[in-house]
Amino acid sequence: MAAAIIETSQLTRSYGDICALKPLDLCVPEGEWLTVMGHSGSGKSTLLNLLGGLDRPTGGSISVRGTDLATLSEDGLARFRRDCVGIIFQQHHLIPYLTALENVMMSQYFHSVPDEAEARHALERVGLGHRLKNRPGELSGGEQQRVCIARAIINSPRLLLGDEPTGNLDHKSTTMVMELLRDLRDEDRFSIVMVTHNQEVAAWGDRTIHMDDGCLVREERTKGC
Amino acid sequence: MTRRRWLAHIVLRALVHRWGRTLLLLAVLTLASSLATALGLVSASMKARVAEETRKYGANLVIMPESARVEVGSGGLRFGAVGEPSYLSQDQVLAALAKSGVKGDYSFHLKGALTLKGVQIPCEGVDFTQVRRLSPWWQVAGDWPRAGEVLGGSDLTPRYHVHTGDLFDFDGGKRPLRVRVAGLVSTGGEEDGTLFIDLKELQDQMGRPGQVSQVRLLADTGKGSLQEQAASLQRFLPGAVVKELRQVGRTSEELLGKVQLLMLLVTAVVLVTAGSSVAGTMSTAVLERGKEIGLLKAMGGSRWDLLKIFSAEALLLGVGSGVGGFLLGGLIAKFVASSVFAADAALRLEFFPVAVGVSLLLALAGSVGPLLSVFKLDPVQSLRGE
Repeated sequence: MAAAIIETSQLTRSYGDICALKPLDLCVPEGEWLTVMGHSGSGKSTLLNLLGGLDRPTGGSISVRGTDLATLSEDGLARFRRDCVGIIFQQHHLIPYLTALENVMMSQYFHSVPDEAEARHALERVGLGHRLKNRPGELSGGEQQRVCIARAIINSPRLLLGDEPTGNLDHKSTTMVMELLRDLRDEDRFSIVMVTHNQEVAAWGDRTIHMDDGCLVREERTKGC
Repeated sequence: MTRRRWLAHIVLRALVHRWGRTLLLLAVLTLASSLATALGLVSASMKARVAEETRKYGANLVIMPESARVEVGSGGLRFGAVGEPSYLSQDQVLAALAKSGVKGDYSFHLKGALTLKGVQIPCEGVDFTQVRRLSPWWQVAGDWPRAGEVLGGSDLTPRYHVHTGDLFDFDGGKRPLRVRVAGLVSTGGEEDGTLFIDLKELQDQMGRPGQVSQVRLLADTGKGSLQEQAASLQRFLPGAVVKELRQVGRTSEELLGKVQLLMLLVTAVVLVTAGSSVAGTMSTAVLERGKEIGLLKAMGGSRWDLLKIFSAEALLLGVGSGVGGFLLGGLIAKFVASSVFAADAALRLEFFPVAVGVSLLLALAGSVGPLLSVFKLDPVQSLRGE
C-alpha cells in the first residue's frame, strides 16, 4: 500500500459552541483521489480548509506529507500552501485584472519565480493555449475553471484540493474538467481531495467519504473513471 | 521575469484596474504634497524678499571694541566723547567672520580727526567701495572719491567752507595730506558732519595700521536669526561687543517667523486631513479586495508577500504624486508669491525630496491601518466574502 499523504487523528474544528468537524480519523494514500460528499454544513469544506492549511484545528492532529500542520506558524502555513497544495475553488477566484497567463504566473511568484514559458505550458495542458491573454471576464465558466486548475498545478503540488470545482459548471464543462483532472493526475501522480454534492462527479474518484453533521458517516470505494 | 519586475507589473495592473480610486488617491496626495512644496517655496521666497528689503536699511550688526568711546550729543550738537578710544584689529574681525560662518557685506570704520588750518575736523576712514554697497541711501552730490579724494559731509560746507572740487592741506597727522573733495554726502544723520577719507590713509595718518574703531555688518539673515549670528560672532571676538544695530531686522525676522509658523500649522492640518483621507480610501480598497487578499493567501502568499504588494502600491502612488505635487506646488507658489507678496518663487530642486517625502510619508502612513488588517484577514472568510 502507498504511503499516506494525509493522516488525521481525532481532528476537530469548533467555532465557539458549534462543532463543525467532530473527531475525525482519516488516512489518504499517495496518489489517491478522495471525494468528500455531504449536505451543506456537514463539515466537508471545514475538512478541506484544514487539509489546505487555510484553517487551524481546535483539536487532534493533521499531517500532510509528514508535516504536522497544527504546529506550523502563520508563515509556515503559507509556505506549506505554496509548496505542497494546489486549490481549485468553486468560484474560480481569478484575479480580474490579470490575464489567464498572469493569473497562473501569480501562483509562481509566491512559490519561486514567475516563468512565462512554464505558465503557458500549464495553460496549454488544460487546453487554453489560445486564451493566454484573455482576462477572466472574457472567459466562460469552464475556461475560468481550467485556468484555476492550471494555476493549482503550476507548482507541481503533491496534493490537489477541490472545493466543488464543478459546482458552477454545466454538464459538458463538468465532464471536460473532470477528464482534465483525471489526465493530469495520471501524468503527475498527485493526490486529490475533492468536495462535491454531485454523485456523478464523485464517481470519478477512487474513494468517497460521506459526512453529516461534522462526522464521517459512510465510506465507499468508487471504480474511478 | 524577475520577482521585482513581476511585483511592479502586478502593482501597476492593480492601480490601473482601479483607476478611479487610484486617481482619487493621486489627487489627494498630489494636493497635499503640492501644498507643502508651495508653502515651503513661498516661505523661502519671503525670506529672500525680507532679506532684500532689510538690506535697504543698511547694516544690521555693529562690532565695536569693548571699551569704545561713546559719543555724547543731542540732535545735531556734539559734546565730544567719553572714555579712551580703543580699536579692533581688521584681521581679528575677518578671522571671526570666517570662523563663525556669518556671511554678509561689511564696512570698516576708523574714527579720528584731521586738522585744517588749526581747526580739528571729525574724520572717518572708510573703504568707499564697502560703504557704497552697505549704505545705498547715501546721497552724494558730485562723485564718489577715488585715490587722493575725500567725501565731505554736507554740514561741513557751512561750518568749514568745504565744497566739491576744493583742495585741502591737512596736518596734525603723521605727515601732511593733500586731498580733493570729490563730493558731498547727505544722509540726514551724523555722517553729514564728517569728512570721509580712505581708510588706509587715515590709519597711516593716525599711526593705526590695520585697526578700526567700528565694523558695520549687513549679515545675511537667510543663514539664521540676527540674534544667533550676533552671538556666534561674539564668541570669536572676546575683546569686542557685537550689537544689533536696529530693530528693523529683528522685527522682520519675528514677523517672518510667525508667518512661517502659521503656514506650518496650515500645512500640518492639511497633511493630517490628507492622511486621514488616504487611510480611509486605502481601508475601503482593502475591504473591497478582501477576496483577492484571501486568494493570494490561499495561493501561499505570506503576510510579508502581501505587505510588499500593498506597500509597493502605496510607494508608487507616493512617488507619482510627489513628482506631481512638486510641479503643482511650484505653480501655486509662483501664483501666491506674485499675487500676495509681489515676489517671485522659483521652483527649487531642493524641494523635490520634500514633495516626494511628504506624499510618500502620507501614502505609507495612511496605509498602515489597512496593511495591518491585511495581515489579519482570514483567507477562508475572505474567500467566502465575509
